Amino acid sequence: MASTSHVSRGLTNKKMTGRPKSSLLILLILMPVWAQDSPERAGYFEVRSAATTLVDGVHVLEGRLQLVLSGEALNALNSGVALRIELNLEVIRTRRFWTDPAEAELVVSYELEYRPLSQRYIVRNLNSGDQDSFATLYSALNTLGRVQGLPVVDDAILEPDKIYRIRLRARLSTEQYPAPLRILFFWRDQWQLQSEWFEWLLER
Amino acid sequence: MVTRTLKRLAYTVFGATGVGLALTALFLLSRTAQNSEDFDRLHILILLINVAGVLVLFALLIGNLARLWRDYRNHVPGAKLKARMVGMSVSLAVVPLLVVFYFSMQFINRGIDTWFNVEVEKGLDDALALSRAALEMQMRDHLRTTVKIADRLREVSGRQLFFELSMLRRESGANEITVFGRNRRILATSSDLAANTMPQAPRDEVILQISQNRPFVSLDPLERGSYQIRTAVAFGDSSRPESVGVIQAQFPVTERIGRMANNVDSSYSEYKRLLYLREPLKRTFTLTLTVVLMLSLLTSIYGAFVLSRRLVAPIQNLVAGTQAVAKGDFDTRLPTPSRDEIGFLVSSFNDMTEKLSEAQRQASLSQALVEAERTNLEVILARLSTGVVALESDMKIRTANQASGAILNVDLENRVGENLIDAAKGHPLLQQFVDVAQVHLHSGETEWREQIVLRGEVGRRVLTCACTTLPGDKDHAAGFVVVFDDITALLQAQRDAAWGEVARRLAHEIKNPLTPIQLSAERLRRKYINTMPEEEVQVLDRATHTIVQQVEAMKEMVNAFSDYARAPDIDINLFSLDKLAHEVVDLYRAQESGIEIILNTDPTLTHIEADIGRLRQILHNLIRNSIEALENIDRKGRIEVRISKIEVQEIEVAEIVVEDNGTGFKTGSVSQVFDPYVTTKPKGTGLGLAIVKKLVEEHGGTIEAENLDEGGAVIRIQLPVNEPAREAMMAMLPGRGDKRRERA
Repeated sequence: MASTSHVSRGLTNKKMTGRPKSSLLILLILMPVWAQDSPERAGYFEVRSAATTLVDGVHVLEGRLQLVLSGEALNALNSGVALRIELNLEVIRTRRFWTDPAEAELVVSYELEYRPLSQRYIVRNLNSGDQDSFATLYSALNTLGRVQGLPVVDDAILEPDKIYRIRLRARLSTEQYPAPLRILFFWRDQWQLQSEWFEWLLER
Repeated sequence: MVTRTLKRLAYTVFGATGVGLALTALFLLSRTAQNSEDFDRLHILILLINVAGVLVLFALLIGNLARLWRDYRNHVPGAKLKARMVGMSVSLAVVPLLVVFYFSMQFINRGIDTWFNVEVEKGLDDALALSRAALEMQMRDHLRTTVKIADRLREVSGRQLFFELSMLRRESGANEITVFGRNRRILATSSDLAANTMPQAPRDEVILQISQNRPFVSLDPLERGSYQIRTAVAFGDSSRPESVGVIQAQFPVTERIGRMANNVDSSYSEYKRLLYLREPLKRTFTLTLTVVLMLSLLTSIYGAFVLSRRLVAPIQNLVAGTQAVAKGDFDTRLPTPSRDEIGFLVSSFNDMTEKLSEAQRQASLSQALVEAERTNLEVILARLSTGVVALESDMKIRTANQASGAILNVDLENRVGENLIDAAKGHPLLQQFVDVAQVHLHSGETEWREQIVLRGEVGRRVLTCACTTLPGDKDHAAGFVVVFDDITALLQAQRDAAWGEVARRLAHEIKNPLTPIQLSAERLRRKYINTMPEEEVQVLDRATHTIVQQVEAMKEMVNAFSDYARAPDIDINLFSLDKLAHEVVDLYRAQESGIEIILNTDPTLTHIEADIGRLRQILHNLIRNSIEALENIDRKGRIEVRISKIEVQEIEVAEIVVEDNGTGFKTGSVSQVFDPYVTTKPKGTGLGLAIVKKLVEEHGGTIEAENLDEGGAVIRIQLPVNEPAREAMMAMLPGRGDKRRERA
């Protein structure tokens, strides 16, 4: 599913095949195992569809994402920990004989939070500062997964005769958390929620 | 050497890198523990440095442990000491570290647990419930108000709706009231918010709830910590669902209540968050502490290895040096490590090896001198004609020179280390020698001198023998040295010389007056024979005849003596012994008709290399001796001469045997028949056999005589048939070996 998740599992397996006599490696092996102690649902992020349309010289994104939180993320959310979900957008120029450079990058960050007093889920757009509240998590994630009219790139800054690709992914960011949580999340698959890149050609 | 230095350098760099990484990681950990922002940035880096440091140290430790184990199993000097030192150091490091680790863990767990309290949690729960109850009351009020507004607006339509809505909003204290028709179309709205703000369309959840004929109310948190209450009820004819709209109202929560509610909400959330963080915090601190512990532990163990290696290195050098000294390498010099006790020990070792080296050099010089002396002595002993045999106290042969072997007819030189008694078995000469020596040694006589007569296959040997003890311990002699000389030839020569001198003098002294006596007797006879009366003439004639006859006899005897004394040069030629024997025997056959003389010759022996004159004399003397022995016997005399070719100890010899059936030798004189003046016959001079013996020995031959059991005597002569045989026989004869060697 999510590529980061796969990488993390691969790393874990590799370390588990190391020298069993080594107390250090035992520690290294045990750390992820010790971290994975909640066999709840795994959760996943997926880009179902995405497309851009040129509206008034600006390429605007319309997309649908499936955001399913893992058990641990849900547990953290209900324990007052705000989750940050990022949409990564990259506009990449396609070149024939060279690596393709990213001409523009856009990160849209949302914060999902549960408020116990109102018993509502708050979705806050960190780029614009807008926020909205929802009675259910489903509503909140559904709203989050519906991207409408998001301006991506001004067509004027793109070279007219070049071919561009756009790719989109959603990921659960953990960089904003305090140190203890980050060390914990580093080893846990349930916190490595990230969709595959969804890629399409920029129509002009 | 260069490889070793490079290896050591690589180890040092590797170790220093590991320790450096470990220290860096520890420093960064301490920094990040103080400032979480740094940690966020350096999280992965610190982790990698930690892991790398631990891995480097671990690899070093594995290498060191493997080397130590290998050294321990191979019994490398110092390995056990090093293992013990490492073990002690590790024990000293591990125990306090584990104690500190245990207490730190306790402090962390209990410290974090003290943040949380059941009463605080309960209070927060109650505060939240209270706040929620207070707000729910407002929410219910506002919902009722909204329902009333909906009832009042139900009959109103068109433009009136807007005015009525504005009035009701002001009356109810709402911020905004909007009437939505089907498809969320705004029919009318009234708001005290900014003019350009569009009313927010009812969300799906609102529509869903309204469609289920349930009014909607919610408490919406706003930015800046405030709240608003959102209500929504159905608007229109409920009997026709397609015409049902929605009235949605937003009521403000008073600032004071909103702030307090927000505080309660934030505190509650923060407490829950901390509760959630409790376990991760503990685990993170445990992990950090464990990493620190591992780094410290591995660093201290590695340090223990390094220190023990440094401490043990001079001791290992010392052990290696000692082993080298034990193997005889006294040139080992060890590097002095420091000025401490070990350094003093090493310098003492160096002094010792230096002195040992000097002592060894001196010992080598002395040994070389001794060896040179020994070589000289061996050369002297080898060149000596005297036999020298050194024996251990248990009769083992220590050394024996070549002459001893030649005299005793045993190769004693190659029997060094053997017991002399064992070596004597099968060697009659040596056996007789050992018997004599043992008689003295068994009687406790260690220093003796004796003349020994040994009887061998080829005659007897006379040895002068002297024995003395070798210096040894106080109570025990180290052994004996027996020195002996073969004086057989010397004695024979002395005897020959003495008899020669006697013969010469006798010949000289007796021969001189004989002629005047003979002449005087003849003159007396001639002068007085014609003047004297007949009866006196007979007396005179008989007397003078007797005188002349006896003088002739005496002349013969004197001539015989003269022949014995005079020894003309030997003239060796090849001639037929067979023919010579026939000539001599035929002569005597003619003369002695009363005696049977038999001659048996060997057809394989035709010629012999010898002095023909001497050989003829030998045959004459022997036959004459036998003829004389046959006189005065009452039976017919018989002489048998046998000549044959035989091999004695692989030497070709001609054996001449002259056997008679006469009176034989007197029993006591058989051993002395060859000495001059030993005779059993009334007419003999006693020189016949002595001359024969002399002539035989001049040819290198041997002679022996014995009586026959049936009466008579036999004389057996063995003569070499040619020059090589003569050489070999001369070497075998007693007292002749030395001469042979000298000629060689």
